[in-house]
Amino acid sequence: MSGFLAWVAGSGVVQGLIMGLTFAFLTTVLILNGVAKRETKTVNGWSAVRNAGHPGNGLLVRAALQKALPVVNVFEEAAYWTATTDSEGKRFSGEHAYRLHFAADQLPPNNAFWSLTATDTVGYMVNSPEGRPTVNNHSGLVPNADGSVDLLLQPHQPSTAAPNWLATPQGRFKLMLRAYLPGPAIIDGRYEVPPVVMVQP
Amino acid sequence: MNRLILKYASPATIAILAVFAWVTYRRIAAGGPGAIVLPAAIAVAVWLIGTFVFIYLWPRITVGGFKRIFARRGLGGGPIPVNTIYAVPDSSSQSALSGSVIATGTDDVLYVGGWLDVSAGPQILHVPGMGDRYFSVQFTDPASGGNFAYVGTRTTGTASGDFFLCKPEWAGETPPGMTRIDVPHKAALLIGRVFVANEDDRHGAYELAKRIQLTPSVR
Repeated sequence: MSGFLAWVAGSGVVQGLIMGLTFAFLTTVLILNGVAKRETKTVNGWSAVRNAGHPGNGLLVRAALQKALPVVNVFEEAAYWTATTDSEGKRFSGEHAYRLHFAADQLPPNNAFWSLTATDTVGYMVNSPEGRPTVNNHSGLVPNADGSVDLLLQPHQPSTAAPNWLATPQGRFKLMLRAYLPGPAIIDGRYEVPPVVMVQP
Repeated sequence: MNRLILKYASPATIAILAVFAWVTYRRIAAGGPGAIVLPAAIAVAVWLIGTFVFIYLWPRITVGGFKRIFARRGLGGGPIPVNTIYAVPDSSSQSALSGSVIATGTDDVLYVGGWLDVSAGPQILHVPGMGDRYFSVQFTDPASGGNFAYVGTRTTGTASGDFFLCKPEWAGETPPGMTRIDVPHKAALLIGRVFVANEDDRHGAYELAKRIQLTPSVR
């Protein structure tokens, strides 16, 4: 028995097992990330996954989407978009100010509510001492004269248009837009979230 | 912990692979190339089979992770026993510091959560009348991670109601006035969301969220 154990230790079987399992895990992560990427549609820097949480998903897709978005709602219940880059493809940074311009009647159509949240790169909300990290349809947003709405995304309170201000974290951040009970224009893919534009200082 | 894993995944991976390379090198240096044939063969076999198994099990592991967290730690109010539902009184940003699993959620809803198990008999989900307040209760399958049922504004309306949750082969009668929902794998992760407009609205939303409850069906 001890001879067998010595052989196991000396032959590298255990090392092979550990390496195999590690490679298997890394390969799984790479495959699932790849599949999740294929399932993700990005327009104007905003990424959405329409099949998340769907009961009809196959083996690969269901695993990939559980990894990307664990136990999230189905798209008909809540549409989610995430963005990490501005209109020029540069990653969001708390050093800059950004503007998100919704044309008149182009806020996300819904039958419940919509909201926009700034989080750290992992997805945790960052409580800014200066202001709220989220705006929604109950925030008392002030529209422009033509009915369009400008949201201002920056870490410090702006001198004007404070109701339309979203406090962003220091450093890199991520945006998450939600529309609960999304309207038909979102469900059938006609609706597009406008790009986030960096405001030149 | 989650946050640390996500943040340092790449350097940790590189470090582990470096250790593997060093171990392999030492083995070759000590015993020649022949010394790594067996471990390499085992590694490749485990790699191939393991990848398939990991992909197959990933949804189960993820949903099972929520089950364990609910059972051991809960959502801020201590462990949540099986077949009970806990309503989180705080918004997500307030619970972010505690590292709660729902800390990546939104401030626009209050969350409720619980683990349903109908293997020992049917359960009844009660939801109060919500008026025009948005709410939903999502049923997530523990094997596939798919949301196989919803109770809420979109699917069943905002009136108060009782839902009879049972395994698919349940042959008994559904109590009058209740809607039957089959639970394919006899268990489900339940996640509920109740809309909250602002701080002033929180109390009202919480009082309603607390009334989303599970009770065993009395035979």
